[in-house]
Amino acid sequence: MSQIRPGRPMNLWRLEWLRLIRTPRALALGAIFIFLGLIEPVFAKYQSQILRHVGNGVRISFPPATPAAGISSYVSEINGIGVILIVVIAAGAFTFDAHHGVATFLRTRVGSIWQLVTPRFTVNALAGAGAYLLGALAAWYETDLLIGSVPAGEMLAGVLCACVYLAFAVAVTSAAASVVRGMVGTIGLTVVVLLLLPIADTLHAVQDWLPSTLASAPVDLLNGAHLSHYLPAFGVTVAASAALLAVAVARLGAREV
Amino acid sequence: MPGAVVAGGLARPLKLPPHLLAALVPVLVLFAALTIYCLIDLYRAESVRSIPKAAWAVIIIAVSWPIGPLAYLFFGRVRDQRRKESAPVAGVADNHAWAGADDARAGVADNHAWAGADEARAGVADNHAWAGADDARAGVAAYPAAVGAAGQPIVTTTGLTRDYGGTGLFDVGLSVPRGCVYGLVGPNGAGKTTLLSILSGVRRADHGTVSLGVGRERLSVCPDVPEFDGWLTAYEVVDLARVLVASRTPGQRGDAGPVVRDALGTAGLADSANRKVGGFSRGMIQRLGLACALVSDPELLILDEPTAALDPAGRAELLNLVAAMRGTRTVIFSSHILADVQRIADQVGILRDGKLLYQGGTGDLINTYLRPSWLLRIADDAAPVTAALRNQAWATRVEPAGAGAIRVDATSIEAGEQGIPVVVAACGARQVSCEPVAADLESAFLALTGTSAMEPR
Repeated sequence: MSQIRPGRPMNLWRLEWLRLIRTPRALALGAIFIFLGLIEPVFAKYQSQILRHVGNGVRISFPPATPAAGISSYVSEINGIGVILIVVIAAGAFTFDAHHGVATFLRTRVGSIWQLVTPRFTVNALAGAGAYLLGALAAWYETDLLIGSVPAGEMLAGVLCACVYLAFAVAVTSAAASVVRGMVGTIGLTVVVLLLLPIADTLHAVQDWLPSTLASAPVDLLNGAHLSHYLPAFGVTVAASAALLAVAVARLGAREV
Repeated sequence: MPGAVVAGGLARPLKLPPHLLAALVPVLVLFAALTIYCLIDLYRAESVRSIPKAAWAVIIIAVSWPIGPLAYLFFGRVRDQRRKESAPVAGVADNHAWAGADDARAGVADNHAWAGADEARAGVADNHAWAGADDARAGVAAYPAAVGAAGQPIVTTTGLTRDYGGTGLFDVGLSVPRGCVYGLVGPNGAGKTTLLSILSGVRRADHGTVSLGVGRERLSVCPDVPEFDGWLTAYEVVDLARVLVASRTPGQRGDAGPVVRDALGTAGLADSANRKVGGFSRGMIQRLGLACALVSDPELLILDEPTAALDPAGRAELLNLVAAMRGTRTVIFSSHILADVQRIADQVGILRDGKLLYQGGTGDLINTYLRPSWLLRIADDAAPVTAALRNQAWATRVEPAGAGAIRVDATSIEAGEQGIPVVVAACGARQVSCEPVAADLESAFLALTGTSAMEPR
């Protein structure tokens, strides 16, 4: 008989942590965010030369790159690829009802659905924030090296705003998982909701209140915007995230397996 | 030439400024690290998905970064497999010895009962409804009830109905005595899983009441197809099951190791405790589901088709295990293998088309629904005895059953037991033997339901 290695005690928080590190999730998050952070400022700096070489000598003139442009290139990529990646990873955690056996295992043992939702939201939101921070540090390093210095205060404030937005994206995913049972449907619904927000952003009256405003904060703060400008969106995003989690818990609690 | 590289795909050498080289170093490090990680992982893997390992190696190296490495991580890597250097696990899959009876449990059950959602409509008193989320999910309001005493039902349902548009459950009144092994049988679509799901609290009833003589934390469920996250070890899965229940049960927060080891050992998985669940066979997953159900030492154990994925030896071991629980905990299990139910269940419920056709003692069912029948063997010519038996009013059927053998059906056990020896003696025949034809649950089931055979699941 092989000896049993007890290991660390299990709980629902450790379960989510292991889900990140024993699957490609954490590696993919870190690799993509850091890669984009490292490469995007390079593109921003050398886009003219790159296009000239790729385009067989066609010359396209761009204004000289600014530090904000280096960070902007990273932020714009993350708002697409990065957010989708976080949604995919979070959807994998929230769609436990997609598997009857898993759902029965969890639901017949927990006292409340909050026990399932809270660690899933927290761990995925923190993982997204951590990956965003690592990518931002990489972009900061590259921008500082190639283009010019980036003010630390504005940069960190911008990262904070973006992380709150990513947490909101995870909360949207949790609510979507309570509406549809499958992972693909959850991802699709979440992406549609997150895409609709920038469209609503075009309405000037609500522009400053929308969570998507926070996504572009790292760039806008470097371009001179003040942090107080984002307080309405910050408050709305936090409140909306809490509301979405409550909706998710209520709907998941009412769902049958 | 320092600072000059030939960029792949570009027409001429690309001169890179020193700053750019410094900027690209981290990118190259990241590139190399992920690529090397994937290649090492590929080398150590026993197998990969979709395409051969060599093809994945080409993809990792040649496909645009980071698409190639990430494609391998998500789509090529077989999660949870044992690595090359891992020591082989002795007796891998299903050759486990199962432990016998669990320790008897002390303590008196929490006396809780759930009432159905339309309890008020049904006119059942409910003065102490729980407001918990679980009860809302289960669609049942709960009230304490005095059903915890020994001999009283641990599960009672009244008029339980869940209509899925013609299928489901209809007016089911279940009564499961405390400490018994209750077998729930029926063909596909009879409503077994629906009934067990409602008892487990993961589905709601449209009408009717469910009364449990234990708190939900003292109830464990093992579904017909248990599923677990494949990247957890068996030990971690069982420990998680223990922790989730222990967090709701005062006094159960102790040293986890022995408890988890006992559960794994009882389920025959002690040798596989440190293995990732993703590499388990279906039978091992079934055993793991049972270990998870047992680790919290439940008073009421609900097993949905527990032997469905097991080989004959594993099935026999599990049946022995369940049978040994009689008296120490209550087990409700569903099965379409009637021989299994007959072997271990002292109480049986027969469902068909959502209706409970019978419930009661297994022996009573057999006795009730079978006509008394004997196989009579005669040393001499059986023809005179056959003819004489056919003239008896109590004999409902008399058929030759081979050389010197007669199958005799009687109107009652008493009539047959008294009449057969008289007829044999009257004929001057020498009787070799007279054995009752074995009555079994399948025959009773067929007699009760009028079906030709149990449908395969």
